[in-house]
This record gives sequence, C-alpha cells and structure tokens, in this order.
Amino acid sequence: MTESLAEREREARELRRREADWNYINSLPPKLKTALMFYIETGDLYVAAKIAGLKVEEFNELRIRAKIPHVN
Amino acid sequence: MEKLQELINREREARELRRREADWNYINSLPPRIRVAIKLFIETGNLRLSQKISGLGLEEFVEHLRRANVWVT
Amino acid sequence: MEAIADASFLIDWARFSLRDLLFRLFRVVWIPEDMLSEIQSESTLMWVAEHLASGDMSLFPTLPEYRDRALRLVELSRRGPTRGLDFPEAYCIAVAEDRGYVVLSENGAAYAAQFLYTTAKVWRAYEVLWELRSKGVVPDDVIFTYQGETKHKFPQGDLQKWRSYRS
Repeated sequence: MTESLAEREREARELRRREADWNYINSLPPKLKTALMFYIETGDLYVAAKIAGLKVEEFNELRIRAKIPHVN
Repeated sequence: MEKLQELINREREARELRRREADWNYINSLPPRIRVAIKLFIETGNLRLSQKISGLGLEEFVEHLRRANVWVT
Repeated sequence: MEAIADASFLIDWARFSLRDLLFRLFRVVWIPEDMLSEIQSESTLMWVAEHLASGDMSLFPTLPEYRDRALRLVELSRRGPTRGLDFPEAYCIAVAEDRGYVVLSENGAAYAAQFLYTTAKVWRAYEVLWELRSKGVVPDDVIFTYQGETKHKFPQGDLQKWRSYRS
C-alpha cells in the first residue's frame, strides 16, 4: 500500500514538472519562484502559499498561470 | 545571581564590541531611517525593534548590519 | 531531538557551507509559520523550501495557547535588568517549553531567558557547532569557518571557551 502511494506521488511530481511553464516560473521574483518549485516537488498547496506569502487561493491562481496541474 | 551578573556583563561587552567595530563611514552614508535603526541596534542590541524602525525586512536589515560590521550577538 | 528556529538563527545559518549538518542533530527543525515572511533572500528561501519538502523542516502553526504564553514571557522579560524578549522569540520559547524542543536563536534576550525564566533550552549557532564538534562531525576550526562565511562574530569569551575544549 505504502509503495503504491509513493509511486502515485512520484508520478504526480513528474507530471507537475513536465507540464509546468518554466519560462514563466523563472521570470518570477524569488519568493514566488521558490514557492512554485516547492509545489511542483511536493504538491503541498498550503505550505507553498506560505512560502510565497500569499493566501491559498491567490497561490492557486499563480499555480494555474504557471500551468502546473493539480494532480489528485 | 551570579548568572544574572554574567548575562549583564555579556550585554555590556557585546555593546562595546558593536560600538568599537562598527563602520561609521558606511553607517553615516545610509538613509536616515536605516542609520537611526543601526545606531539603536548598536546601543541596545534589540534586533527586532531596530529592524521595525528601519522599515526593512529582517534579512535586509541584517545585511546592512553585516556591511556595517555590526555583529548580531 | 527536535528544534524550533527563529529567523535570527536561520538567516545566518543558511549562509554556512555545512548548514545541512543541522539535521544530524535534529530530527525535525520546526519553523513558525509567521516567520516565513521574514525570509527574503532567494538562497535562504530555497534552502528552507528544500528541507520543508524533504520533511527535515516543518511549519509550526500560530496557536492561541502559545501566543498567550509568549505574551507572558515578553511581560516577564521586561521586568528584569536584561534585554526584553520580542514576541517571535518568545513564541518559539513558549512552544519549546511545552513540547521539549530546543530553541535555535541568535537573539541575546532569548539566550538569557533560559537562565532566568524558562525551562526551554536556547541554542545559538555556537551551541550547535559545539554539539557537532563533540560528536566528531566537524573540526575544531569550524567556528572560524562559520564566522567567515556568515559574517557572524562570536564574543571573545565564547571563543576562549571553544579553544579550551578537549574531547
């Protein structure tokens, strides 16, 4: 069970990495760029929003602009 | 009591160190708010109060302290 | 062992080339949520974000019971002859008292607090390096490397004590 969860996490991370608009992400100020990179690695929206200094909803909009999918 | 005296002595030594080693040329070249804030930090060692007065973020303020040779102890 | 770190510790420690050795001492280093906004530089933020992602670091929420205790600590500290505590450090101490964490702070008032009015242990970079050295993880001259890389200066008394250490 643990293995299949880890596998799902890995696939989700790869999908986020692959689909992300890296040109857009790299054009952003450090806090936002770091937060998006954190989100790509972990899928943790709450902590990523904290890193960015944004509300969760605001960060989610940023995620969408960066074309990073929300993977369930 | 002895420990309290030791702590008071440490504070005094830290203040003397800050005064002695500060780069006053650099400090005096800064905008008023930051200059005042650094002088306050030199005298009191109170980082957060000084930072608030400077109007800068903590990291940015500490960077000015580093450039001014003022040690955070 | 677990720790809770304030900004004054992290923004210096993050500049140290051996910064990841912190996680040899502490299973988790907690970071108060509100403190994240104080980290501005890209390199510090990236380091924190990497370790949040790996689980070495974790965010500690702002909770009313610790806020209350932190305020009491600030009040207590203002009655004594030493420097008063500021709220962010007091919050770290309140959490550490209750949960048995070590506070990581360069704040002089926080350091003094452990001898005067709290049972929480407060470590500066000095104590972290001391512990790493006692475990044989770093050489004797690491304290000078730390000073050089972070531009953080240790008081002469502490350097003398460091030099007099024999394993």
